[in-house]
Amino acid sequence: MNKMASQKERAQVEEVINEASGKIYLPPCQIACPIGEDIQRTNAMIALLPPDIQEASSRIISIGDEIYDKNPLFPICSYICGLCEKECNYKDKTGAVRRRMLKRFLNDYYLPYLETKPPLPLPTKEKVALIGGGPGSLMCAYMLGKKGYQVTILERGSQLGGALRYIPKYRLPGNIMDTTIDALIRIAHIEVKLGVRMGTDGKTLDDLKNEGHQAVFIATGTPNSRSLTIEGKGVAGEELDGVMFGLDLLSDGNQGKLSPQLFQGKRVIVVGGGNVAFDVARTARRLGGDASIVCLECEDKSSRDGIPADIEEIEGASEEGIRITCSRGVEEIIGEGGKFKKIKCPQCISVFDEAGLFNPKFNYSDVIYLEGDVLLVTIGQAPERAFYQQEGLLDERGRLDIDQLTLMSNRQEGVFIGGDVRRAGFAAEAMRDGIIAAESIDRYIKGEDLKAGREKEYEGAAIPERKDYKPQPELVWAPVDERLNFEPFEKGFTLEQAVEEAKRCLYCGPCKSCKACVALEFQPDIPKIKLNEDLCIQCGNCVFYCPYNAAKLESPGAVSFNLSACHGCGLCIAMCPAIALDLEYWERERISTLISQLASEMEQPKILVFRCQWATFPILNDKPSPNIGYIDLPCASRVDEFHILEAFQKGVDGILVMACLEEDCHRGTGSRWAQHTVAKLKKKLAEIGLQDRLHFCTVSSRHPGEFKNELTKFYQSVEAVGSKESK
Amino acid sequence: MIVTTLKPLDEIMDFISPYKNIMIVGCDGCTQPPRGIKEAETLSQLLELAGKQKNKEFNFKIITMAKQCDSYLVTSILEPQTEGVEAILSLACGIGVQEIAELFSGIPVFPAQNTHFMGAEDREAGTLEERCAGCGDCLLALTGGICPVARCTKGLINGACGGSKNGKCELNPERDCGWVLIYEQLKKQGKLQNLKEFRPPRDYQLGGWRVMS
Repeated sequence: MNKMASQKERAQVEEVINEASGKIYLPPCQIACPIGEDIQRTNAMIALLPPDIQEASSRIISIGDEIYDKNPLFPICSYICGLCEKECNYKDKTGAVRRRMLKRFLNDYYLPYLETKPPLPLPTKEKVALIGGGPGSLMCAYMLGKKGYQVTILERGSQLGGALRYIPKYRLPGNIMDTTIDALIRIAHIEVKLGVRMGTDGKTLDDLKNEGHQAVFIATGTPNSRSLTIEGKGVAGEELDGVMFGLDLLSDGNQGKLSPQLFQGKRVIVVGGGNVAFDVARTARRLGGDASIVCLECEDKSSRDGIPADIEEIEGASEEGIRITCSRGVEEIIGEGGKFKKIKCPQCISVFDEAGLFNPKFNYSDVIYLEGDVLLVTIGQAPERAFYQQEGLLDERGRLDIDQLTLMSNRQEGVFIGGDVRRAGFAAEAMRDGIIAAESIDRYIKGEDLKAGREKEYEGAAIPERKDYKPQPELVWAPVDERLNFEPFEKGFTLEQAVEEAKRCLYCGPCKSCKACVALEFQPDIPKIKLNEDLCIQCGNCVFYCPYNAAKLESPGAVSFNLSACHGCGLCIAMCPAIALDLEYWERERISTLISQLASEMEQPKILVFRCQWATFPILNDKPSPNIGYIDLPCASRVDEFHILEAFQKGVDGILVMACLEEDCHRGTGSRWAQHTVAKLKKKLAEIGLQDRLHFCTVSSRHPGEFKNELTKFYQSVEAVGSKESK
Repeated sequence: MIVTTLKPLDEIMDFISPYKNIMIVGCDGCTQPPRGIKEAETLSQLLELAGKQKNKEFNFKIITMAKQCDSYLVTSILEPQTEGVEAILSLACGIGVQEIAELFSGIPVFPAQNTHFMGAEDREAGTLEERCAGCGDCLLALTGGICPVARCTKGLINGACGGSKNGKCELNPERDCGWVLIYEQLKKQGKLQNLKEFRPPRDYQLGGWRVMS
């Protein structure tokens, strides 16, 4: 049944449309990921890695290649992103699957390979210029490179990376960023021009067109720090000595321009409640400062006015001794002798107004003063607009005039704009803009419709049924006294930890959009369930047993199957009392034929093994001995009383049902139900003395040796029964 | 649904041993799991294996039908199938077996099941429990939809006996006290006053033996 497996192209994932809603059906994590990484697919692959790291490493690299193909910046994402985890179906049970850490685990083996990863074919198509060297541009460059375009990135600064370069090294090690970006540039044959200024004192869009670029993507980000304001007016005192922008500190810090004792003995106050403000405070702490944070937002993260920084940042900063003062604004910066001394902080009553707009309100009768030596303002960033103004890309109200679906400027054809300059967000969101722009640029250059088929609606898959939910592993951080430096302090997963965590994934999404099993070549394709309505007696067994709610019985009406939700395990077939269901590739008839064939070919004592492919895939192609016959099942729960009895009738001496360990079961419930089926039948067989000829066992695909042990044990027990009977 | 369990295979073997051509008739009706075509098929496989050990060969014919308690269905479905059939093994409850016996008096019919009660399944626990005693005088409207006749071990209809302990019955500590269940349910519904209503002793004739269709 696994003969068709080597056809690699079958492993390509497909878009699954939920017929009921007409929407694209995906696991919620994949919808949440701005890049749309194939999270379920690669989690399933990690879960099946062998325990030996040498053996696992080549598979880790091919998993990395899978992710790289969609997200060449994933090694960076694995330190800084976790958007998928916010939507994980597991989140409200025992905590999201730690996908970020899983990817980080891949890094350990993938990064060394990345330096030698073969490049894409040399580009031969038109020239495209990308302005700005941040994640949006890098992503756009790679996607265009894949399509064969000649891409040039123009960056104002001295290195690529954009806003990623502000991330402190204790969170994102410099070598990870450098290796990832250098590899991308090399692999996609990107030409990089550093120190290029755009606008009046530099190049214009016309210059780029004259140089032969057929399209331009502009993603210049938000390099300017916002100044403090109150009631719409600037706050006095920003010019004082000791007042600076947090962003400048981060930039200087990452370029190694700062003394490690810069803030020794100094009280550093950081204004701002976002992740960047926490980066600044924790950087200041690492530079010897006594750091504290003051922000407008309140402590309660669940409220509308809650502090926006991630909970990990807040916890980490608190551990490091950083004090956080919430619900306070800055009305005035007060100095003494030209030097910063303190800030006047009225109580902030609300941050956002009813319309959801940033419009803070204060109670000026409740004021505190915070004293310090350094004030770091980190309350957000703004784009540099002059270039857009000069090129006529803004509308009458001074906003970028862009088509939000294609990212093409409504003012100039062939000019595409994205990333933070369009809408400030996460790095992955800027990267998504890069992907969108690359698709638009390709269509634009080819003269195709820019919009056709691009408006997509998604529906998140529901949470599958599980008996219990495994707890989320804690993140392991170095203790505070060891981590007040710029070395990464988060401990990565070992191979075992990664496999354990990947196994928590519920694989909620539809099989066709995952196909990990097909890619690993142990399943020919995703099988379809087939219902014979004439035979169905509407007992509802399939509805009860299906762990994915794929079977439905509504009043009035017959049983129906949602094929996008069906995971093709075949449990419903084993439990159907009416023989009304069947499974593609594992048809009842086909299994019967195979049983007859094996029973006639095998030598005595004849041992037939019903094997779950997930449990035994590394050894599926091993040649059995003349006494052994294998029937490979899509899941052990497909094992059917009928087939077991049929094998006995055909003269088989012993039958072994081999399932996954219950905790490994890809469908969660399959192994348990297979055991149930066997136990029930064994009871009946006991009445006719055949109970010792049927056995259930669990094995792990990660330890193929166990398979042999179980088989030998069973073989010997059947031999023993046989000789006892013949006496 | 009517709750049945499979008889020991030995007992069934004793019934059918004198015959060779046997029809096994499944019933898709009210048992759970339905004793339909698949159950008929696996039973035939088990009996064949059991027969082999005793050098006994059977020739099974396997069919199923929607419900064996319907004389019209039984006649129309079985009649064309009975040629050469020496005995019938029914997977239905006792009603189905009797229906076939009455309509096909020339062919011996045997039960493959023991019939227990009218009940419901707890799918998670894999158990079936009695829910209705067929008393002919339904009290469920007053008792929050929980039957005291079937679920109180003693069948009391005017409240608990006093022997209930931690919600369990004094006669069987594994069994829930039906009246505690009723109390909890009525409390949830704000209808505890129902318990104050006195109900006269049960009229055992109401169950009856024949009603108009």
